Amino acid sequence: MADSRHHAAVAAPAATHVVVKDVAKGYPGVRALAPIAFSVQPGERLALAGPSGSGKTTLLYLLAGLLQPDAGQLCIDGRDLAEMRPGRELARLVGMVHQQYDLVSSLPVLHNVLAGRLGQWSLAGSALSLIWPRERHLAEEALARLGIADKASQRTSRLSGGEQQRVAIARLMLQSPRIILADEPVSSLDPALAEEMMRLLVDLVEGSGKTLIASLHSPYLIKKYCTRVIGLRQGEMQFDLPAADLTEAVLDRLYDLDRRRPENGAIRQE
Amino acid sequence: MDWGGSLIHSGGGGAARTFFLALFPPDLSPEFLRISLAATWPTLAYAVAGMTVAVLIGLPLGILASGTVISVPRLRWPVALASRFSLGGMRAIHELVWAVLFVAAFGLSPLVAVLALGIPYGGILGRIYSELLHDVPPEPLRALRTAGASPVRQLLYGRIPLALPDMVGYTFYRFECAIRSAAIMSFVGIQGLGYQLQLSLNDLLFRQVWTLLLFMLVLVVLVDQWSSLVRRKLAS
Repeated sequence: MADSRHHAAVAAPAATHVVVKDVAKGYPGVRALAPIAFSVQPGERLALAGPSGSGKTTLLYLLAGLLQPDAGQLCIDGRDLAEMRPGRELARLVGMVHQQYDLVSSLPVLHNVLAGRLGQWSLAGSALSLIWPRERHLAEEALARLGIADKASQRTSRLSGGEQQRVAIARLMLQSPRIILADEPVSSLDPALAEEMMRLLVDLVEGSGKTLIASLHSPYLIKKYCTRVIGLRQGEMQFDLPAADLTEAVLDRLYDLDRRRPENGAIRQE
Repeated sequence: MDWGGSLIHSGGGGAARTFFLALFPPDLSPEFLRISLAATWPTLAYAVAGMTVAVLIGLPLGILASGTVISVPRLRWPVALASRFSLGGMRAIHELVWAVLFVAAFGLSPLVAVLALGIPYGGILGRIYSELLHDVPPEPLRALRTAGASPVRQLLYGRIPLALPDMVGYTFYRFECAIRSAAIMSFVGIQGLGYQLQLSLNDLLFRQVWTLLLFMLVLVVLVDQWSSLVRRKLAS
């Protein structure tokens, strides 16, 4: 008995976090994602690069359970995503930071942070918490760690972009998922805030075996903060490289920049 | 069309002049002010109670009619359609018609005014609430969903907070309308400003008519002020 258990533990592949098995997704008249396959190990920080319409957001939404694949299978820790209960179960495994942080602007910061617990709270508990906040200390600790403890009772719309970004991170800290997805987390930020956002995201996953999957365009940020990069174009995987091996030439080809540049293209000749 | 050659009644100009001249000054005798105040009270009370009933009807039915909280697709649309249908039925009938029907059923009781106001106004509020709740921006809701929030929790933490300023503003606007309607309820015999208005009109006491109209004006202006106060507080 003991032997076989030991054997099973050894034979089981070291908890492969995410497995994407020939997943395809289309919208009426458009193919968003051709069958695509890859897997992500715990602790990896994966960047998804590619021009708009390349399928990055579709892939992230599929992993977040916001969309269902047309074909193929998404597995997390060996379990099919489609079979998980959306709230309680999935929220423990997968969380997401959105492009504009997408907070509820009319609620106080505190409730936007506590919303990270909605997957675990009962319905009555969730409702009552709007009047008598539950687990308030968790939210206050998270906000304090991010340096905005004084903002807890403020209306969220009053906060600056950088502060709202931290509120979104604080919500994610309370949710504490094993896999963190980020959809263009730095697209609307100046370079300093962009670096800060990446730093905060990496802090969330580093050392805890958590996984980060983020859509990013900047080779500088990819190399500095990620361990691996997948290039997507028109729903197809173009490359899958260690972040350190990413070169400008590879990215230029992905974004078609080599053909758009005037010195190589038609614009010069006219 | 045959206007009967007497579209404008020959004595009408004189009557109109008498009526408008009575504005200077309206009857402000302490005795009549007391009567007006006493008549304002039931009108306001019916409007407040009627709106309370309207919100109690409109909020739950509006939420169901918005089709946003029931996650079982097979149930969602039948429930939404049934709610929309019942809201439509309530507001298809004018408050005065409801009043006539309820007077026949309950006699001249305050309950008649409250129900006759509350039901059609509930139908109106429910319709507007359902649209406001349905049309909130989808991004914050999607973010709540990825944090594990079910549709009902998204309603509590997303839809309602986002739609609340508009819902409150519209409810206050309807409250003003309810004051007008509550005054008119008197035409089926219920106490209030409209009842006094009718008595004074019948006796051609235009100065008293103006006093009563001014009371109504003040009431509506006060509600308007209260409304902007509440909305400013919500927005801050």
